[in-house]
Amino acid sequence: MSKLVAIEIDGKKIEAPEGAVLLQVAKEHGFDIPSLCFHKRLSPTGACRLCVVKVEQMPGLVMSCAVNIKAGMRVTAYDEELQTNRRHTLAYLLAEHNEAYDNSYEDEMRPLLERYNLINPDQRPFGSLWENIPRVIDDSSPVLTYDSSKCIRCFRCIKACDEIQGKGVLSFADRGITKYISAGYGSWKNSECDGCGECIQLCPTGAIVEKPFRGLINVKEADNTTITTCPYCGVGCQMKVFVQDNTVMRIDGFDEVSPNYGRLCVKGRFGYQYANHEKRLTKPLIKKHGQFHEATWDEALDYAAQKLSDVKKKYGNMALAGLSSAKCSNEENYLFQKFIRLVFENNNVDYCTRLCHASTVTAMLKSFGDGAGSNSIEDFETTDCLLVTGNNIIETHPVTATFVKRGKAKGQKIILIDPKWTPLVNHADVWLQPKLATDVALLNGMIRVIIEQKWYDEDFINKRVEGGMEAFDALKKLTDKYTLPYTSEITGVNPQKIFDAARIYATAETAMIATGMGMSQQTVGTNNVFSLINMCLVTGQIGKERCGINPPRGQNNVQGATDVGASPKNYPGYIPIADEANRKRIAELWEVEFEKLHYKPGLTTIEIMNHAHEGGIKAMYIMGENPVITDPNQTHTIEALEKLDFLVVQDLFLTETAAYADVVFPAASLFEKEGTVVNSDRRVLRIRQAIQPPGQARQDWEITIELAKRMGADIGTYESPEDIFNEIALAAPIFGGITYDRINFQGIQWPCYDANHPGTSTLFLDKFNTPDGKAKIIPVDYKDQSEKPHSDFPLVLNSGRILYQYHSATLSRKSPLLNAYANNHYVIINPIDAKKFAIDDGDNVKITSPRGSLKTIARIRDEVLPGELFMPWHYSEAPVNILTRNEMDPMSKIAPFKYSVVKIERI
Amino acid sequence: MQKELSTKTINSILEKYEPQRHNIIKALHSLQDAHPLHYISNSILDAVSSFFNITKAETYGIVTYYSMFSIKPRGYHIIRLCQSPVCSMLNIKDLLNHLADRWQLKPGITTEDSMFTLETVECLGACDNAPAMMVNEQLYTELSKARIDEILTHLKEAYHKNL
Repeated sequence: MSKLVAIEIDGKKIEAPEGAVLLQVAKEHGFDIPSLCFHKRLSPTGACRLCVVKVEQMPGLVMSCAVNIKAGMRVTAYDEELQTNRRHTLAYLLAEHNEAYDNSYEDEMRPLLERYNLINPDQRPFGSLWENIPRVIDDSSPVLTYDSSKCIRCFRCIKACDEIQGKGVLSFADRGITKYISAGYGSWKNSECDGCGECIQLCPTGAIVEKPFRGLINVKEADNTTITTCPYCGVGCQMKVFVQDNTVMRIDGFDEVSPNYGRLCVKGRFGYQYANHEKRLTKPLIKKHGQFHEATWDEALDYAAQKLSDVKKKYGNMALAGLSSAKCSNEENYLFQKFIRLVFENNNVDYCTRLCHASTVTAMLKSFGDGAGSNSIEDFETTDCLLVTGNNIIETHPVTATFVKRGKAKGQKIILIDPKWTPLVNHADVWLQPKLATDVALLNGMIRVIIEQKWYDEDFINKRVEGGMEAFDALKKLTDKYTLPYTSEITGVNPQKIFDAARIYATAETAMIATGMGMSQQTVGTNNVFSLINMCLVTGQIGKERCGINPPRGQNNVQGATDVGASPKNYPGYIPIADEANRKRIAELWEVEFEKLHYKPGLTTIEIMNHAHEGGIKAMYIMGENPVITDPNQTHTIEALEKLDFLVVQDLFLTETAAYADVVFPAASLFEKEGTVVNSDRRVLRIRQAIQPPGQARQDWEITIELAKRMGADIGTYESPEDIFNEIALAAPIFGGITYDRINFQGIQWPCYDANHPGTSTLFLDKFNTPDGKAKIIPVDYKDQSEKPHSDFPLVLNSGRILYQYHSATLSRKSPLLNAYANNHYVIINPIDAKKFAIDDGDNVKITSPRGSLKTIARIRDEVLPGELFMPWHYSEAPVNILTRNEMDPMSKIAPFKYSVVKIERI
Repeated sequence: MQKELSTKTINSILEKYEPQRHNIIKALHSLQDAHPLHYISNSILDAVSSFFNITKAETYGIVTYYSMFSIKPRGYHIIRLCQSPVCSMLNIKDLLNHLADRWQLKPGITTEDSMFTLETVECLGACDNAPAMMVNEQLYTELSKARIDEILTHLKEAYHKNL
C-alpha cells in the first residue's frame, strides 16, 4: 500500500495514500463532488467533466478524477465558480439526455439535477437537443436494451466490459453528437456479448437497462438489503438481491467484497427465475400405484421414516445410503452426514464431488495433506504465469476468468492444455491440444524438459519434498523415456509447444495451476493430478504466494459439503473415520455411544449406485442431487433406482431422479435460506434469506431433523443454521475460529483454527499438511485406456459444460433468459470426420456407445481434433450419460465422463 | 457485378500487414479499395477483427468513426463533388441538381445498378480549375453539365465493355 501523505481539501486536513485518485479520496472524506463518468471500479475517464476542482499550483479548473494525490496538495472542492461551472456542464449533458424515468434503475442524473436546480425546464440555460439527434435503440440482446437518447457517452459501460470483465465487446460507433454505444457490428445479439450485465450495473443514466421485470420493478420500493452468495458455480460471488412481492426481480453484484468485487456472470445475474418458478414443489408427494399424490408433511415424513426403518430392520443398516448435495449449505450437509452416520448407522454418504474433483482431492490429499485450492481468487490476476489444464475457465468460472483476463492485460503468461478449443485460447500464449486422456504423458514430457534444462528448484526439493533429491531422482528415472518425440507421438502435441510450455511455467517468477474436469474425470484422474503435482514440486511453484494448484469448483458448495463431512471416509474437517480416536472425539461431540459410529468407510457415489443395482443397497435418501442426469451410464443408474425398495428425494423440482422416488420432500431454495457455503478458494461465505419458500416447502435441515426424529433418533436440537454452524466449528478444527459474526460480508478462508486466527489466503507457505510437513512426489506412468476406439465405435466422445447452463440444468433451464442463449443440445464434430461420416452442419445424428444411444444435432467445428467429439451434458433430452461408463478410477472412484467410445450416424 | 470480396482476396490483402494495431486503418483502406462496392462488409469486419485480435466492436468503432470508411455498399464509381467556396461560386448547385435530375444521384445515394455513388467533399484543392470532382482516384476539373454527362456515360460504357 502507498504511503499516507497529508493534503487539504477546503481547509480540512486529510491523510490519503500517495497516488490515489483525488475524487475518490474526496468522496471517502465526505466531499460529495458531483461526477457521472467516474466509478471506483474503473480507471478514471474524464468524460463528464463534472468533478472539476481547483488545486493550488495547477492552472485553471482540473478534473479531480484525473488528479493523483501528492503530499501537500491544497484543493478547493466548492466555491461559487466551481458550482457555476458544474451546473453549466450538467445542463449541457442534460440537453442531450432523455430524462424519462420508469423506476426500474438507479438514476444518478436526477439527484444531480435536483442539487443544481435543473429539474424545472424553465430554469435550464439550454433547450433540449436529444429529440433532434438520431436515436439508436438496440433491443436485440435477450437480457438488456440500449437507448442512445439516455446515454451521456460516459464510457462506463465500455470500461465495465473491458477493464472489469476483460471482454471489450462495447465501443462507440459514429462520432460527435451522434455517437452511440455499439456491441459488435451494431447488434448486441450478434456480438460477442455473453450477457453478464456488468454494463447495466455500471450505467449511471438508464441507457442500458435490464429486460426482465421492466415496468414491474420499482428499485426504490424493492427490498435490496439481502446480500447472499450466488447459487451457481463455486466462485462464491456476493450478490445483492432485489425483492418485490416475495419475488426475486433483480440481482446486482455486491460491490464491496471478495471474491467478486461486484462482478457477476450471466447465470448469477439472470439465472434466478427458478426460485419463483411455477413448477416448484410446494407440497410433499407420496407415490401410490405409480402416481404421485400430494400429502401432508406428517403423512410424508411418517411414511418415509417407516419405510426406511423397515429396510434397516429387514436388510440391516448397510442396506441404506444417502446422497448429500453440493447445492445445499454447510449446515444442511453437516446434518445430512450426521443423519447417515447416526440414523442409518453407516458411512454411506457421498455426493457429486465424487463425479468432479474426487481425483484431484485424492491426489492433493496424498501429496500435500489438503485437497483444496492453495490460492485466493485475486492470485489469478497477480501470478506471473497461469497454467490452465482441462478447465474451460471462461465458461465454467466466468468471474474467476475476469481475474485471469485482467492478469493477461498486465502481462501474465497463460498456458492452456485442452483437447478442445475454449474461449481461453484467444488469451493464451501457448495452447497444447493433446489427444484425449494423454495428460500423464504430456506432463511427464514437460517434466523431462524441465529436468533436462535444469529448470528445477533443488533447494525447494531438498527442503520441502519428502525424500528430497532421492524422490526427484525416482521421478527423473520414470520420466526419462518421455522424450519430446515420444511424448509428441502419444499426445499429438508439437514438440516445440511442449518445450515452450515447460519453459514458461518453470522459469516464471511465480506460477499457478488451474485444473478442471478434463483432468479429473478420467479413469486415470488421480494420476493426472499426481503428474501436475510432480511438475509443481520439482519447479518449486508452490509453497509461496501466487503459486500453487487450484481446482475451481463447479457448484456453489461442492467445497463446503466435503469440508463438513459429506464423505464416506472423513468426518467434518477431513478427519478420517477409520481412526478410532477420531470416532471417539466425534461420538463425544454428538453425545452418542462410541460404538454407534461405524468404523468402516462407506460407499462412494458410483459404488452406492452399483450396490443398488446389485441389490446390496435397498433404500436411499437423496438431498438435492439428480443422479439420473449426472451419474455415468444412465441406463444402469435408472435400473439401480428402480431396484430400490424405497427412495426418498428432497428437491426444489420434480427432477428426472425424483420421478423414481417413493416420497418427495419439497425443499427451500438458496434464496429462501440462511447458512454458509465454501467457495473454491476455501472462503466460508454467508447465504441469507431473501424470500419465503413457496407453499409448504421447508428448509432441508429441518426436514432431515424431522425424518431422524420419526425414525426414533435424535441428531440434535438447533434453533437456527447458526447453531448448526457453531457445532461444525467444534467438529472441524479448520473451521474452529469461524463464526457468523466473523464471516459478515467478507468471508473467511479456512483453515482458521481459533478466534484470533485471520484465516489463510495461501496454503502451504511454511509446511505441507502431511505428518512430516513435506510434500510427496509420486511418479506415475502413462497408461493406455481400457476402452479404445475400434471399428464398431471409431470415435471418442468428450463431454463438458457451457456458460449458459448449469449442471443437470434443473435450475438454469428454468430461466427463459439463459435459454434464449443456449437451449439446444448438440455434438461438435471435426470437419474431417464430418466428411468421413457424410454429416452436414445441422444434421440430426445418432450417437451410440456400448452403453446406449441418443439423438442430437451435429455442429461441424474444428474445436475438436479429428477422431474426437464433444457434447454438453446439461440437456436431459440428449443425456450424454447414457453413453458414458461407470468404470472407476481405482483411487478416487471417479468415472471417465471425458472418454467414451462411440459411433455417429446421420438419421 | 461482383458483390463481395472473396475470403482468399481478403486474406491475401491482410497478409501484407503485420498484425499490429497501427496497421488496422491501413488494412481497412486497402480492403475497402479492393471491394467492388467500396465498403467495409461484414466479411471484412470479421477478418480484420480476427487478424488483429481485436473485438468486433472495436473494428466497428474505427470504421464508423472515420467518414472515409463506409459500412454500406457503395457504387462501383464513387463521385466526390467538391463543395469548396470556389466551386460553390461557380454554381456547383446547378451540377448537383443536374446529377439528381439526369442521373438520379443525390449525396449519399447509390444508383440502383450500383454503378455510381455521389458524395460531397469539402475541397479537392483544384480551385484553379473549378468546379471539380473525383471519380474514384481520378480528378476531373472545369466541370459543366455536359462534361459530367460525357464522363459518366463514358465510365458506364467502359464498365460494360470490360465485363
